[in-house]
Amino acid sequence: MTKSAKMTSLQDVEDFAVENGSYYAEQFGKIQGKTGFTWSWNTMAAVFGPLWGAARGVWGFFWIFLVLELFALVQVGRGLWGELGAEQLVRYERLMANIARREEQAAELIAAGDPEGAQSKLNIADNLRSVADNTLIEAEAASGKALSILILGLALVVMIKVAEGVYANYAYEAQYLRYRSGKKAQAGIRRSGIVFGAIGIVAIWPLTLIRFTVTKPDEMVAGLTGGLLGERITISKFPVGKEYFAQLSKQGDAGFDWLAINFGGVFDGVSAGIRQVLDWLELLLIQTPWPVVMFVTVVMALRLAGPRVAIFTAASLAYLAFMGLWELAMITVALIGAGAFLCVLMGIPLGIWFGKSRRAYTFAEPVLDFMQTMPAFVYLIPIIAFFGTGKPPGVLATVIFAMPPVIRLTALGMRGVPESTKEAAVAFGCTPRQLLFNVELPLALPSIMTGINQTILMALSMVVIASLIGAEGLGALILEALQYAAKGQGLLGGLAILFCAMVIDRIAQGVYRKKVGGR
Amino acid sequence: MTDEVIALEGVWKIFGENADTAMAAVLDRGLSKPEVLEEFGCVVGIVDVTFKVNRGEIFCVMGLSGSGKSTMVRHLNRLIEPTAGSISILGRDMLALSSTELREMRAKKIGMVFQHMALLPHRTVRDNVAFPLQVRGEPKSRRWEVSMTCLERVNLTGYEDRFPHELSGGMQQRVGLARALASDPDVLLMDEPFSALDPLIRRQLQDQFMALSAELKKTTVFITHDLDEAIRIGNRIAIMNDGRFVQIGTPEEIVTNPANEYVRDFVEGISKLKLVFAHSIMVPIDEYTNTRPSVSYDESPRIHHGTDLDNLIDIATTTDNVIVITDDEGMDVGVIDRATLLKGVQGGKA
Repeated sequence: MTKSAKMTSLQDVEDFAVENGSYYAEQFGKIQGKTGFTWSWNTMAAVFGPLWGAARGVWGFFWIFLVLELFALVQVGRGLWGELGAEQLVRYERLMANIARREEQAAELIAAGDPEGAQSKLNIADNLRSVADNTLIEAEAASGKALSILILGLALVVMIKVAEGVYANYAYEAQYLRYRSGKKAQAGIRRSGIVFGAIGIVAIWPLTLIRFTVTKPDEMVAGLTGGLLGERITISKFPVGKEYFAQLSKQGDAGFDWLAINFGGVFDGVSAGIRQVLDWLELLLIQTPWPVVMFVTVVMALRLAGPRVAIFTAASLAYLAFMGLWELAMITVALIGAGAFLCVLMGIPLGIWFGKSRRAYTFAEPVLDFMQTMPAFVYLIPIIAFFGTGKPPGVLATVIFAMPPVIRLTALGMRGVPESTKEAAVAFGCTPRQLLFNVELPLALPSIMTGINQTILMALSMVVIASLIGAEGLGALILEALQYAAKGQGLLGGLAILFCAMVIDRIAQGVYRKKVGGR
Repeated sequence: MTDEVIALEGVWKIFGENADTAMAAVLDRGLSKPEVLEEFGCVVGIVDVTFKVNRGEIFCVMGLSGSGKSTMVRHLNRLIEPTAGSISILGRDMLALSSTELREMRAKKIGMVFQHMALLPHRTVRDNVAFPLQVRGEPKSRRWEVSMTCLERVNLTGYEDRFPHELSGGMQQRVGLARALASDPDVLLMDEPFSALDPLIRRQLQDQFMALSAELKKTTVFITHDLDEAIRIGNRIAIMNDGRFVQIGTPEEIVTNPANEYVRDFVEGISKLKLVFAHSIMVPIDEYTNTRPSVSYDESPRIHHGTDLDNLIDIATTTDNVIVITDDEGMDVGVIDRATLLKGVQGGKA
């Protein structure tokens, strides 16, 4: 094999390692010449540990061994000066004080002429004394362990040093390969690396060592730093409590109150609008005689989604009816129906906008994330402040939670329309409006339908939470079951919600399949 | 009405945010493409393109991918705005049109066929063909009538109620062609219409298109990356390279007289048999007689100077004598012997 054909040419490694280049060239040759493990010892790495990694820019090595060495050093520290058994001694002293107090009380009781009371105090004192004795024994045993902990710590130090020496060249060879592929890996020794590594060690090691080896770390640190750290700034606990939090949350309250007072009209308007939709739906679902609603639902399932879904729908409706949950179920469906309707009404135009404007989408994305991931309780609180309790705020909470999917999937669908198809339509003289209604929306429809479906299902999952702020329906039934631990009621109510969801989902999917299957 | 249907004059396209400054700099200092990219971060798409297409003519633009031919054709209906230059179609300055007028032009005067068909998947073939008419607001009965006629033209009668995905690639492209014809435009833009099809179907569609275009006489700008296709279809061909028109000419001019190395490389692999004619390879009769005084033309066949190589070979195999070429009046003007003919087959020009 010619020299140039070798995987690692000597000169190349020397350019990389700079200091001790020939040593690394030899070691890398050894490592690359074998599959599996080869013994390759790096004394510098073993001696300087993490600092070696910092100097050479092997930062993975630096952090791993920074932590491991620290762990070993803590053991050594505990063995050398750690006040082992100190905790037990503290406890012993506390117990002794307690005993002294009981005896005092007993003496007082005797003086007051109550020997029985005094006797019971003395009994307690005796019991405590035996506990205290045990604690003292434990303390002695613990301090006796110091030697074994010291030995363990020293053994750990040796092991870690060996690991450093062996692992160093492997880590460095990996970095060399990165360097070769031009990923800007550090070559040679860099002074800034050493400085940063040293700062890292100074920042991490001493305080940690003190914290884990000394019983009263704050006092110790205070002694070492002249009272700056430890006394004024405690190291065992963050020196600031809830001052800022309290301040800010108070201001938040004020802000919401201000909004509620000054924009009451707006909120009432929104509330009235939602109630309008809700009333309309409830009229349709509840005031209409139940046989009509059932008949229409089953026929709809049959026409849109086929006989199997129709049978399932009939069975689900029968379940609701025979369990006496018909009215509650209709209230629930009206509730989520109103929510889903509002979601679609607002979500599709928003989705179209976000699909067309990348900038708008960039701004909207975090808001959508917020709506979807923020726990519902967080926005239930201001909703109650603005809209009070009852159904409209329940619908509003549902809208907030359930709207993102339809927005996202509409935008996705809009962006998925092939440029070439749009271009063709424009080439035939389409106006933007014709383009939207004849090309973009029809092509985005599968995605939009999926979004609507998701929105409906997410709205259903909100019914229990909506019932927390006074929206009636199946959600309230389940909430009640939760309050009284009524397991059976909870299960039956849950099944009712499940059936509602599945019927709506299957019918919606049927519509969707019909649309798409048509082509 | 003028006979020039399409006229482009010094059209440039520079892509990027500083296109206008870059344009000015290019005109001022004559920067090259890489320099423009370096200095302004702009990509030069089209460089100073000028050409005219006459009524009923098929004008082929041939270039490899990235040569800017698809970008160029999109300037004609302003799917892409030029950075500089003027574009006129049917005597109207395209760049001066308002957006309503432009839509009007697109809907009525300019039809376009795309490489990837770009049919609407949710519409039947009939509704796809009728789409340009729907955009124009024609009533349904008229739309259906026209789309039936157009589908008949491309031999797709009986498929009008199918959806595009039920059709093969070749059939889809015929739908695309029918759609472009539906608005009975004066100008047809064809952006690599047959490139995505397999060779056999491509040839069939080329034949069909040529028959159709002989009948309808639409002024056509036909984009292709295939020189054979350009030669088969085009009345004139423009060779495009790096956004520039390298050469414009009839197929014969291109083949026999390539303007530079680039065109020559292309032309090399092309069969010249039907593109090279007797007059371009013959040796003038006086010159021939001077070099070979003993030669006699008494037994020689007399052939018209417009005969192509293919026919010349047929004739040469039936005689041992040299072939004498006559002009339009029947006068002897040139001679082709075996050596000249073989050279002609090989190189196009002796």
